[in-house]
Amino acid sequence: MSETSAPDDVGRRRAFAEVVEPEIEVMLRVARSITGSAADAEDLVQESLVRAFRAIDRFDGRHPRAWLLTIVRNTNSNMHRRRRPIAVDDWELIHASRPAFGATVSPAAEESYVDQELEGALHDAIVGLDPRFRSALVLVDLHDLSYAEAAAVLDVPVGTVMSRLSRARERVRKALGPTFTTTRGEQS
Amino acid sequence: MSGALRQMVTCHWTARRIQRYLDADPSAPLTPGEVTRLEEHVATCARCSEVMRQHRLLHGALSLWSGRRPVDPATVDRMRTVLDDLIEGRQA
Repeated sequence: MSETSAPDDVGRRRAFAEVVEPEIEVMLRVARSITGSAADAEDLVQESLVRAFRAIDRFDGRHPRAWLLTIVRNTNSNMHRRRRPIAVDDWELIHASRPAFGATVSPAAEESYVDQELEGALHDAIVGLDPRFRSALVLVDLHDLSYAEAAAVLDVPVGTVMSRLSRARERVRKALGPTFTTTRGEQS
Repeated sequence: MSGALRQMVTCHWTARRIQRYLDADPSAPLTPGEVTRLEEHVATCARCSEVMRQHRLLHGALSLWSGRRPVDPATVDRMRTVLDDLIEGRQA
């Protein structure tokens, strides 16, 4: 763990905790997507928290999630000296998701549709995406990040996130094909 | 401009904004006028209505996907402990 040179002021420490604590879960989810491993994600978030604490004086108080996710991205880059852009492949998440299809208890009609009609197809469509497009889809549609937060993770402009997201969704829709475009999905 | 051409132009205009309309992301909001125009068009255009339905269906499918499961609560607790240690000055 890095040595910390922290803000001394008690108020600042409390403010830091108030800003960071609600974001821990999303930091872990995004870190898991970046690293592809729950264990590596925990290490990454722990180091990111330390770095955020040391950098709190440079935080302007706006958009804490985007600020923290930027730190997660930069910390990951520093830890692994990656030269390529973050892809957010998230293979662990994608593959781990498959067995859960069909496991829904008393599903609503829409859930039943996902279970019965989209099992495998959705997985294959997402896996088949270009990693750049998949990253945008995973961050926005699975992790519920805003465009700006996803842009912070990927280190690209918001417009690029929007463009990649649009293409990802379009390709997934096309990949799902007739199964998806028929009216069977409108049972709910 | 003929009615058919006007319709085609509006379909194209709508298609470019459906994602922003449905996502309602603060980074890329539609103006109230754009929202009104889009909603009025979708209400009368079967093709754009179908596109909107497919967008919503995909969003619904993704929202039900098990990949969205939360992280392990024990991991969250450990990170909270790290945070507590930091603000209490126990983290070396």
